[in-house]
Amino acid sequence: MNVSRRWLQAVAPGLDLGAGEIASRLAMLGAPVEGVTDLTAGIAGVVIGRVERVRRHPNADRLTVCEVDGGNGAVQVVCGAPNVRAGACYPFVPVGARLPGNVRIKRVRIRGQESRGMLCSARELGLGTDHRGILELAGQFDPGSPFAPTVGLDDHRLDIEVSPNRGDLLSHVGVARELVGEGGIRLADLPGTIEHELAVRTGSPAVEGAGVRVRIDDPRQCWRYMAAVVSGVRVGPSPEWLASRLRAAGAHPINNVVDATNYVLLELGQPLHAFDLARVAGPEIVVRGARQGETVRTLDGEQRKLDEGMLLICDPGEALAIAGVMGGSESEIGEGTTDVLLECALFNPKGVRAARRALGMSTDASHRFERGVDPAGLERAIRRAVSIIVATAGGEPAPTLLDVCPRPWRAPVVMLRPERVEQLLGVRFEADDIVDLLEPLGYRCGPAAGAIKVTIPGHRSYDTLREVDLIEEIARAHGYDRFPDSMGAFRPGTVPDDPLLRLHDRLRTTLVGRGFLEAHTTAFAPADEGEVEVLNPVSAEESHLRRTVLFGLLHAVEHNFARGASDIRLFDMGAVFGAGGSGGSPRETNRLAVALTGRRRPRHWSVEDRPWDEWELRGLAEELVAVVLPGECSVEPGTFDSTFFEEGCEFLLRAADGSVVGGAGKVRADRVSAPVRAGPVWGLELELGDGARGRPDPAFRPLPAFPAVERDLALLIPDSLPARRVLEFLENGGGRDLVGVSVFDLFRGGDVPGTHRSVGFRLRYQSGRRTLTDSAVDRAVRRLVHRLKEEFGVEPRVGATGPGR
Amino acid sequence: MSEAGSLLDELRALEREAQDAIAGTSDPAALERVRIAFLGRREGRVSRILRQLGGIRPEARPAVGAEANRVKQVLRGALEERERHFAHERADTGTPALDLTLPGRDRWRGARHPVTRVVDEICDIFARLGFTRARGPEAETEWYNFVALNTPLDHPAADEQDTLYLKGGGLLRSHTSPVQIRILEEYRPPVRILAPGPAYRRDTWDATHAPAFFQIEGLAVDEGITFVDFKATLSEFARRFWGPGTRVRFRPSYFPFTEPSAEVDVKRRVVGADGDVAETAWLEIMGAGMVDPAVLENVGIDPERYSGWAFGMGPARIAMIKYGITDIRTLYENDIRFLSQFA
Repeated sequence: MNVSRRWLQAVAPGLDLGAGEIASRLAMLGAPVEGVTDLTAGIAGVVIGRVERVRRHPNADRLTVCEVDGGNGAVQVVCGAPNVRAGACYPFVPVGARLPGNVRIKRVRIRGQESRGMLCSARELGLGTDHRGILELAGQFDPGSPFAPTVGLDDHRLDIEVSPNRGDLLSHVGVARELVGEGGIRLADLPGTIEHELAVRTGSPAVEGAGVRVRIDDPRQCWRYMAAVVSGVRVGPSPEWLASRLRAAGAHPINNVVDATNYVLLELGQPLHAFDLARVAGPEIVVRGARQGETVRTLDGEQRKLDEGMLLICDPGEALAIAGVMGGSESEIGEGTTDVLLECALFNPKGVRAARRALGMSTDASHRFERGVDPAGLERAIRRAVSIIVATAGGEPAPTLLDVCPRPWRAPVVMLRPERVEQLLGVRFEADDIVDLLEPLGYRCGPAAGAIKVTIPGHRSYDTLREVDLIEEIARAHGYDRFPDSMGAFRPGTVPDDPLLRLHDRLRTTLVGRGFLEAHTTAFAPADEGEVEVLNPVSAEESHLRRTVLFGLLHAVEHNFARGASDIRLFDMGAVFGAGGSGGSPRETNRLAVALTGRRRPRHWSVEDRPWDEWELRGLAEELVAVVLPGECSVEPGTFDSTFFEEGCEFLLRAADGSVVGGAGKVRADRVSAPVRAGPVWGLELELGDGARGRPDPAFRPLPAFPAVERDLALLIPDSLPARRVLEFLENGGGRDLVGVSVFDLFRGGDVPGTHRSVGFRLRYQSGRRTLTDSAVDRAVRRLVHRLKEEFGVEPRVGATGPGR
Repeated sequence: MSEAGSLLDELRALEREAQDAIAGTSDPAALERVRIAFLGRREGRVSRILRQLGGIRPEARPAVGAEANRVKQVLRGALEERERHFAHERADTGTPALDLTLPGRDRWRGARHPVTRVVDEICDIFARLGFTRARGPEAETEWYNFVALNTPLDHPAADEQDTLYLKGGGLLRSHTSPVQIRILEEYRPPVRILAPGPAYRRDTWDATHAPAFFQIEGLAVDEGITFVDFKATLSEFARRFWGPGTRVRFRPSYFPFTEPSAEVDVKRRVVGADGDVAETAWLEIMGAGMVDPAVLENVGIDPERYSGWAFGMGPARIAMIKYGITDIRTLYENDIRFLSQFA
């Protein structure tokens, strides 16, 4: 809402504050000001100049050469205006100052005569359209004094952010009421206006008078319709006082009739509409729902298709306007208009909202109707509009105001308990204090048993209908900052700290400790990366919800590749979405993804660079899975998602019950556009569940009392046999004293047959009861070798078996 | 007695001789030769004296032994000191054998995302005020996102958040407030929770808007919770988060699910490079208010008995203020040059 400071001060004569002070007061009342514009900033350098002498220009008939006193003695100025005369004062721009549009005035020669400055018309100053001559100021002023403040033209426009519950603030009177209270509002007489004797004729569903008939067919959507007729108007430009008010509030003047309605809209918040009465058949106004297939051409020139039931203002034949949204071009006020029918109505906010949304438009009128127009303010508004029209466009008002009122408004009454005020606000307010806080805002308070009976004024009858709404008004009027700031005791809550968020903490600690950077990707994905479609997406790239987190991370890897990086380690945790959740909503689960490429450590001269590889990835996967599913998970080769990972270089992460909880692998080259210098990219995606799987406390095992003995065993394993099976055999079948098996070597070539590889296992023997002798351990190893041969046909590599390190 | 006495004299003479020899060495190799000559296990002169212990009277032996040990200690100390002297000399002459001024073998430094840092910090502060963390789905229904939160779809308040709808039903939550409803449905008061998580709006990317953004919801519901508690708790949070001397301001505002509603602003004290203390402009940090009784009724909690307050905060915006980031898109590009600044 754009508000003019001078207009506010005109309706609230006691409001003696600057624009900045008004802005901060409004902010603390809940209507923050987003910007303050000094409307005369563009003419700040303009001063008052007195023309001392005028003589004809020697070389041009239409020009004069003037001596102008701009405060620093007389200077010579060449002027082209016909109305310049000696002794009068005009706005004057001295050399070096600027005009609106940032035009800097320079010393020039015009037809051989020097000119040092410029005398201005209203239009040149951005103050109006008058360009017939320079703006002669009535009265005498001191030459050189600043122009705008001296002649009272300075003004500020305040851009107020009005919350959707406060339709009452969409007018100058409404804003002024917040600042000075109901009692400080005065509607000043406007130039040339008089109070007309108009009698109201009320009825329902139809009323006749002033030569027209008005009928409401849909009282659910149209609660009240007032109409007035002014005959014999002359449509033309508005006088300067009216036009400049509108401009100050950010509106464009159109013509004197339309401007009068806009003036009332901006001053009182009541939308009005003027019809050219000659274009209203009958003349009769019918307020009814649209028929199927009906159309209307609106003022913006659009041919609008109307939904059935949408509320229209019609004559007996066709639609003239969309109620509360926009008028039609057919009945528009134009230069030929002589008789005006003025509409001042109250429409159902929900109906206006539905209509303007269906039409995909919003207007000053619909914005106000949606938020609620004061049901008690119609008559004042239409009378003021009639006065202004007669004053600016002439004509004669018909003596009857028509008032079709199928739904007379009664002020709501709310009971307010002072103890409830204290219960919610924490501070005791006496009943008298409450009354003193509420009444300036327009509420009327009366006594009731144990409570205050509060009558709600029309302008707050949409949002203040409950006791708690009044309690907010009390807090607001008292001032939020005046409440004390003392913290009381609190009881512990019943909600446990969310286990998934705790799991996030643990994973973050692990990965950050391992040198990974946490990325933030969004849930959006293009169509080929998601199953769930967004109905109204912002872009095609964000048309679906992702089915993996890894997708976004790979995108981030590309971003970094493109900026010269080759060592990249990223992770992110978030929701992924699949079709087919319960009740039509998507299935939503939480995942971790990791992407890595480049070197394992920063370069150092003392060691060779080594890139990430499948073993680092597998190790990382095992570590992460152990964080998510402690003690009950496995990592094994297998295909998780062949759209992401290269065949044959992919791991499956499984839970204890065998279900797949994730995958990891070498990202396919066609998934990431990588520069030539880049190494392979590795990725991992892991389902996190709800994090509720508890972390068992570690169970202490007594430390061994007897020394361990190690033996290395190199086995020739054929390529057809996965080493994992041998490892598991050793782990499970090596007897009680074999407490650890690890792989320490993998070797091909040399004396190893080409179809085999040599895998070195380190076996660690230890007994809880005695010191193992070398011979006992050797016997155990020999037994194992024998059983391996029986089980797998695997032989030891000759000469490679011996004591451990 | 005389044998013992001569051994003691010999030891003391040897001590003086060794001290001179040590002081006279000019390099570590010479020092090592002196060490062997005097303290060598087999041929060292102290050892040789000790080997003569057997030849003296048993009652005199402890005294000689003790003296020999004292001399050994002294000489070892002198040797070490001389060694240190050589080490310093090496460093001073600039011909180091091992240049330890070179950088060590570095590791990759990981980092939490700046928004996570802010979320964690906020949750930590509130944890000390008795709050736990909670969570809810991101794909929501109109009931949880709007209706239960006292926001009818035919009211202009629903326009404030341009919502993304999903094919097949549902929508992406436009704020984290639906978690209020889900938690109050599941748990009875007292409830003190924070719900951090993503929310979504139909905004196009620009310097200050993102269609997906983080939010933190806060909710406290119990008997006897008042506007004074609300102000006090959030002020306490703001001072802990933004630093001592921070001023906090509550302005009336409007949210359909709180009544009274407020915007909370802070004015921080910043110490400039020259040590001068200055105050920032007022910064909007959250929208908040007392839980609207209609919300409590919607989850079956008696608003005459229970009351509460709630807030919604944007950690991305706070991270931008805190770390001086000017474009919100920076937070989602995942440029490692940016992310590693938070290591």
